[in-house]
Amino acid sequence: MNRATKRQEFILALLIAVEIALFSTIGKNFFSAANFFECVRLAVEIGLISLAMTPVILTGGIDLSVGSMMGLAAVVFGGLWQVAGFPLAAAAVCALIVGLLGGGINALLIARLNVSPLIVTLGTYSLFRGIAEGITGGARSYSNLPASFLYLGQGYIAGVVPTQMLVLAAAIVFYWLLVHRSVIGRAFYAIGLSPHGARYAAIPVTRRLTLVYLLSGLASSIAALIYVAHIGQAKSDAGTGYELIAITAVVLGGTSIFGGSGTIRGTLLGLAAIVILEDGLHLAALPAELAGISTGVLLVLTIALERLASRQRAAVAENQEFEMKNSQLAILCSTVIVGALIVAGSNWYLVKNLRSGTSGDTTAAKEGQGRLTVAMMPKSKGDPYFISCRAGAEEAAKEFNVNLIWDGPTQVDPAKQNEFVEGWITRHVDAIAVSVGNAASISTVLRKARSQGIKVVTWDADAAPDARDYFINQATPQGIGGTLADEAAKILHGKGEFAIITGALSAANQNLWIQYIKERVASKYPEMKLAILRPCDDDRDKAFSETQTILKVYPKVKVIIGISAPGVPGAAEAVKQSGRQDVKVIGLSLPNLCKPYVHEGVIQAVVLWKTRDLAYLTVKAAAALARGELHSGATSFQAGRLGDVKIEGTDIILGSPFVFTRENIDQFNF
Amino acid sequence: MRKLLQREFAGFITLALFLIYLAFAAPSFYSLGNLRDIALANVSVLLISTGMTLVIVVAEIDISVGSLFAICGVCGGLLARGGLPIWMLPFAGIAIGSALGAANGGLVSFVKAPSIVVTLATMVAWREALNWATGGAWVENLPANFQWFGLGQAAGEAVLFSATAVLFLAILWASHNLPAFRSIYATGSDAEAARLAGINTKLVVFAAFVLVGALTGLASVLNAVRFSDVPANAGIGLELQSIAAVVVGGTPITGGRGRLMGTLIGVALLGIIGPALTYLQLSPYWEKAIQGGIILVTVLFDALASRAEKRPALA
Repeated sequence: MNRATKRQEFILALLIAVEIALFSTIGKNFFSAANFFECVRLAVEIGLISLAMTPVILTGGIDLSVGSMMGLAAVVFGGLWQVAGFPLAAAAVCALIVGLLGGGINALLIARLNVSPLIVTLGTYSLFRGIAEGITGGARSYSNLPASFLYLGQGYIAGVVPTQMLVLAAAIVFYWLLVHRSVIGRAFYAIGLSPHGARYAAIPVTRRLTLVYLLSGLASSIAALIYVAHIGQAKSDAGTGYELIAITAVVLGGTSIFGGSGTIRGTLLGLAAIVILEDGLHLAALPAELAGISTGVLLVLTIALERLASRQRAAVAENQEFEMKNSQLAILCSTVIVGALIVAGSNWYLVKNLRSGTSGDTTAAKEGQGRLTVAMMPKSKGDPYFISCRAGAEEAAKEFNVNLIWDGPTQVDPAKQNEFVEGWITRHVDAIAVSVGNAASISTVLRKARSQGIKVVTWDADAAPDARDYFINQATPQGIGGTLADEAAKILHGKGEFAIITGALSAANQNLWIQYIKERVASKYPEMKLAILRPCDDDRDKAFSETQTILKVYPKVKVIIGISAPGVPGAAEAVKQSGRQDVKVIGLSLPNLCKPYVHEGVIQAVVLWKTRDLAYLTVKAAAALARGELHSGATSFQAGRLGDVKIEGTDIILGSPFVFTRENIDQFNF
Repeated sequence: MRKLLQREFAGFITLALFLIYLAFAAPSFYSLGNLRDIALANVSVLLISTGMTLVIVVAEIDISVGSLFAICGVCGGLLARGGLPIWMLPFAGIAIGSALGAANGGLVSFVKAPSIVVTLATMVAWREALNWATGGAWVENLPANFQWFGLGQAAGEAVLFSATAVLFLAILWASHNLPAFRSIYATGSDAEAARLAGINTKLVVFAAFVLVGALTGLASVLNAVRFSDVPANAGIGLELQSIAAVVVGGTPITGGRGRLMGTLIGVALLGIIGPALTYLQLSPYWEKAIQGGIILVTVLFDALASRAEKRPALA
């Protein structure tokens, strides 16, 4: 191991110590054995991938396809077990074989045909995820796995040690032996330093590289199995974005991205730094965006510090290559200052934004005064729909005197949602309110929260009924799908073709609405036909392009239904620019985003509920539950400015969806 | 033919085969309106990929362009709303993009941190910082003359298209003729040799990052003015799209070589796949797989072709 690596590991270890000290002070229940094991559980999937990524990067390569391979392996496993009726073990073995095959494709192109690893794995990155989406039609997911399998991802050995920790431990030992204690491992370093030199030294370069990529594929598929057991569901979006986290962990740990130097220990330190940071932020109720920002700053900081240290040392050893110049120092300082400014600026923003005192950053102090804490999670923080909900949640928090923690994944990510809930359980908040991204995966953690006396409500989208106390029902999927179909029929006079622009193909909510649109059309409007369905990935610009193409390929389409807040204005702009007066847009979106198009007559109807009221009602219900004012079996309850709200079974009913049209849209501002 | 196209050969053949297939399977693909829409949709990708080509030629990489794209768009929107004259918007975009690019370039060339690490860090950090600052809210209520620079749709489209074409051709010409651009190739090919030949290699690397930042900023503003407001989540996945376009266009990731004509072919190939699949009425669920497959086929084709060519032992 070279000196630079050692130095970076030391710097990283210091940073981890700082993290732990910091979060022990500001985080609640951070420094506890239970939280330690929770951190480890969260680290297993990423850890497996990072371990496998280490030799890949050591040999001077990279593997961007690992996250996509997780998705493919998960889908193959779930599909073979549930659809093809394979025994679990056989399905698992097949998933592992798929992992090896995928790794084999990478290996063939990289090791045999000498194509750059970045390009090859960029291609397989799309290919693997694409096959997974193709097999499942994006939407299908496989759940109801037997408890014996779920034990792998959710169980505890001897009551404290998470089961999957054993897998990680075994992988660590295996990779440590392989990289640091075997002839093969030495070959990785040699190849990374110089592939030609390695070949002349009689190292079978092709075979070694093949091994590295095969192992990477295998590790991804093992990670996929654990992921499936962890969140209780196999779906094509498993492991999205994991490749970047794994690469970050490896590089943070001092492995040179050019190959030839690095250690397994460094990777583990890098992994720990990332996981502790995320967990600590949850427990300190700091916003999740900080994780990304600090990871970035951490990356630059460790590398810059290492460079600085190496230069000082080298200067003494009169190495002409490394001279410490004022300009270099200036850049380093400015980087740190910029990082600090970002943090300071965002803190200022946070304080300014949440002056009402409902923010999470000061909760630790206030909780001592006996105020209730309600933790509320949107499906994704950046979605305009959820942003408009937040205002209502804050209004209610102020009115009913509770601390509100509003946090969630920055992009739709069911696995991340579980992490937040785990964090809140450890923090022991009084009530949790979740907009569920994936019912099968989150119900387990919600049950765990309930068993520890935390009140749980779901809002916007429901979990399994026994996993929560109440569901705040803004409108049923049947109601939404039916209303959209009715609005489309009104424009088409019950006859003609329409197209749907949906959010992501794998979004459970959207797929349910689409299903009810289809059902309603089939039963009530037999002369209407769904011409085509296209995804826009919740990207306004993509919705725009997709709509442009649809208009040309399907000239008979007269109505476009957008089922995504950014998708509706995107589709409307495309219709407007095409000059087609005969095509109209309707959909689920926010009034403010659509107002100009509604007035121009391009958008005929926007279907939604009053988002502010939904979140207001959610916080009120959660607070009432935690205070013991609302019990199971109630048939109505007093919800502040909304008056008496009806309860049916365990559903608190907000009302039916609202249709915004040219006549009424100006009365609303959200 | 092969000599003329050099390394773009694989990308060119794939594109040609695809276009010929489309001519039979879906002739309506070649309508003027469709070609115009596809061209406009890829204006920003082409600008960014042009910058990316130069960064890759200098043997570095920039994966933060997607985040830069989002930041420049939002800043441009805010400036327009704050009363900045509309004609100055593109320059504002260039200025902001250059500044962000300079941050990357400074860290890469003066602190000597590996570019993939630096830009990985800035990609995540800028994206999340933007999410945090905006809370995901769009920039709405822009002045009426924001869209199409107030020129109306037809003239606006023409401006966008011609500005991009002129800029691309200028950089294409410069990359063959100007010493400054040749020094990019020299540095990427062998930094030490370039340094000994009197080239300030650190400055060259720095300049490449500033340039890709500037082009990203400009692309972001040009894309933003096609609409009436600016979303906060723009440009996700743009880095992979532009890197893919560059490598499909035959630029080796190892630096020192690569031509902008190839990048143009790469952008065209990746840009038509999406709409073409709709024209061919294929299931959207398989789209990603087909995209990945086309990249791999191109790469495989290139690898096999260069094998068959029996290169001299030293290459």
